Amino acid sequence: MPKEMNILIVEDESRIAKRIERLTRAIFGNALQSLKHIDNLSEALQFIENSTLDLVLLDLNLNGDNGFDLLKTAVSQSFHTIVISAYKDQAITAFEHGVLDFVPKPFNRERLEQALQRTITKAKIESSAIKFLAVKKRHRIQLIPITEVVYIKGAGVYTELFLTDGHKELHDKSLEKLEQLLSPAFERIHKSYLVKLSEIKEIVVRSGSKYRAELKNGERVPIGRTKYKDLKARWF
Amino acid sequence: MKLRFSTCFLLVCFMLFATSCTQNSKPVVREYQTLFRIGDQQEWAAKNWQDQDWEKRMAFVPDGQVFWSRTKIDILKAPEAFRPYGLKLEAYGEYEVFWDGVLIGKNGNPGQEASLPPEGELWITFNIPTHLAAEGEHLLALRISNYYFPDHVGRYELQIDDYEDLLTDRLIETSYMNIFAGAFLIASIYYLFLFLSDKKEYPMLIFSISCFLFFVLTMTQFVRTAIPIHYSLHVLRLEIISSLTFGISFLIALYFSMQFPFPKRKLFMGIYTVVLLYFFIINHHFFDFTIYNMAVSLWVFSLGIVLFGVYKKAKGALLVSFILLLCIILRYSVSFRISLFAGFSLILLSMLYLLSLRIKEERLAYESSLVQSTRLRLELLKKNIQPHFLMNTLTSLIDWVEEAPKKGVLFIEALAKEFDLFNQIEDQTLIPIAQEIALCRTHLEIMEYRKEINYSWEEEGIDTEQKIPPALLHTLLENGITHSLPLEDNSIKFKLLFEANHHHKCYTFLTFAAGVRRATSKEDGTGLKYIKARLTESYGSKWDFTSEPADHGWKNTIKIYA
Repeated sequence: MPKEMNILIVEDESRIAKRIERLTRAIFGNALQSLKHIDNLSEALQFIENSTLDLVLLDLNLNGDNGFDLLKTAVSQSFHTIVISAYKDQAITAFEHGVLDFVPKPFNRERLEQALQRTITKAKIESSAIKFLAVKKRHRIQLIPITEVVYIKGAGVYTELFLTDGHKELHDKSLEKLEQLLSPAFERIHKSYLVKLSEIKEIVVRSGSKYRAELKNGERVPIGRTKYKDLKARWF
Repeated sequence: MKLRFSTCFLLVCFMLFATSCTQNSKPVVREYQTLFRIGDQQEWAAKNWQDQDWEKRMAFVPDGQVFWSRTKIDILKAPEAFRPYGLKLEAYGEYEVFWDGVLIGKNGNPGQEASLPPEGELWITFNIPTHLAAEGEHLLALRISNYYFPDHVGRYELQIDDYEDLLTDRLIETSYMNIFAGAFLIASIYYLFLFLSDKKEYPMLIFSISCFLFFVLTMTQFVRTAIPIHYSLHVLRLEIISSLTFGISFLIALYFSMQFPFPKRKLFMGIYTVVLLYFFIINHHFFDFTIYNMAVSLWVFSLGIVLFGVYKKAKGALLVSFILLLCIILRYSVSFRISLFAGFSLILLSMLYLLSLRIKEERLAYESSLVQSTRLRLELLKKNIQPHFLMNTLTSLIDWVEEAPKKGVLFIEALAKEFDLFNQIEDQTLIPIAQEIALCRTHLEIMEYRKEINYSWEEEGIDTEQKIPPALLHTLLENGITHSLPLEDNSIKFKLLFEANHHHKCYTFLTFAAGVRRATSKEDGTGLKYIKARLTESYGSKWDFTSEPADHGWKNTIKIYA
């Protein structure tokens, strides 16, 4: 179990919030460092901007407000977002924007645990529905279509998105978290690189067992020694 | 409706065709100046009497004195064998008819009118003996007395043609006109019944009366073939005709003013009535003049009203204005009498067309109101199964069952009660206020389990006899719950007030809470729409609904006018 999980619950139904809180405590046990409950949109937005979090459990309908803006803000952050909602038809939108899981109401302990486990086990999403990566800009959130992303490079706690038009965008999520959301279309070919498989043109072998992936746009990205075998198996 | 329209339209065309057929193509005689003389001599009947010193005009012959008239007539074409000529006369007075000095007919008792009862007809046809109808010069002499209208002396019209044609032509004309009049009688009766079934539809009544007056007008105009009329009664007939024209003219304009409403309608109609009355009164005994002027005023005022309708883009106004313009062409292409009848019937048809448009509109409105009612009913049903309510309730319920089963059971009971209440009101358009309040209280109970906020409900001045559309307050309550944050003591209070006076009933629904926000999301938009649609369904436009922030939270008022 990872230590020091900081979790925020955004839910306007008090009884449901308490339930999520209780189950979360039970599931994470000692690993939980802090657990905060907020029942309205503006406070939640403020809290997200100003706190270090590892996970947000989000209800999309707060006091009749549409939680879509909150969703966009949440997914642009470094932490993972799990949506807990009564509207199953919002699941697709949520996944498109890069949430880790969507838990429809009413839910039992097993379903919530399954969702929370994903944050712990780093399990990849089986069939990724993500369509956008939300990127923080000054005063707004920009949605970058996944189709425009060629590869992602880890840069400390951040990541850099390299786009088809040659631009580069900074994302708050770590490479590990993005790998979780973007697989299987993207493959971690190096400890610092996550590449869209369909963008790889060929694999170039250099002397001294150095492997490089040549992309369709001509760029070359290093392949980790250990990753080569996996990649070769999948790619050929 | 289409069928009826086209049937009537065909009739009009038929009438125009029929009446135009009765006009004969080529005259068989030439008529000369008629000469008059007071006195009574049998010799004056003679063909060759020297009448140079007779008068060309005679204004006044009092006391039913006998006077004579002589008219020289050239027969241009002798009649065919066994087809004698006839002489049709329309003259004021009782008279004897001499043709070339021979007595060929008698209409009443000239000179004895004061002592004998009225006899004879205004329109009468005589047979001209074949041997007196050779080509060439002839003489028609009348021995007349005019007791009843001594100032209408010597005005008469004559027509000479094939005797049988003279008799049958007007019968044919009359038979067509009877059919024509019958169509309007049926339309009148039909729309009278329609009006009686819905007494608010005044245009239908006006149309029905107009049709009936037009029926009477037609019958009065053509009554002379069926019933012999003495010349003394002729003015009565003309009085009836001009009065009917007055009535129809007034009603048609009134009808248009109702179908195409415009500002200052009463003033306009007042002016129109004055104009009509003016024309009705001045030169009253010049009946054709009176009728013509009234018809023209009708045309001018109606066109004004209809053109305003066109300007306002009222349905059907364009067609009606087109028909009114058509009446000008009609006026200058056929005789006055025919143009009057054809014009009136065209205008009545356009009125029928407008009625059919309105009936269609009403039907569509009724159909859409049925659809609307169904939609509202579905919306009401949806309230309890829409995910936000149902799934959140079930999630809370699971939690209560897991954590405090006894409370969970109470929660289920409250839920069951709300479902039960919804079931009861689901197909109603109005429910007792007590039922609505029960629904709200149950809803609060459920929400208390979910939100763990202390909700309270107060009411003041409630009249339990009152009814309101279902789930109106429930919707306001839902909005209040969704948009409010609790006060410091974790409570939210709702209060319902009722006031009524002779003018209106008013429900005030107050929310006492912190941080009440205006509804922005789509869901609340539908909530307010639901309320408005329900109010319209039950009260038409006689309601007012406001929803606004207040110091204590939120304030909704629903006013229903008497």
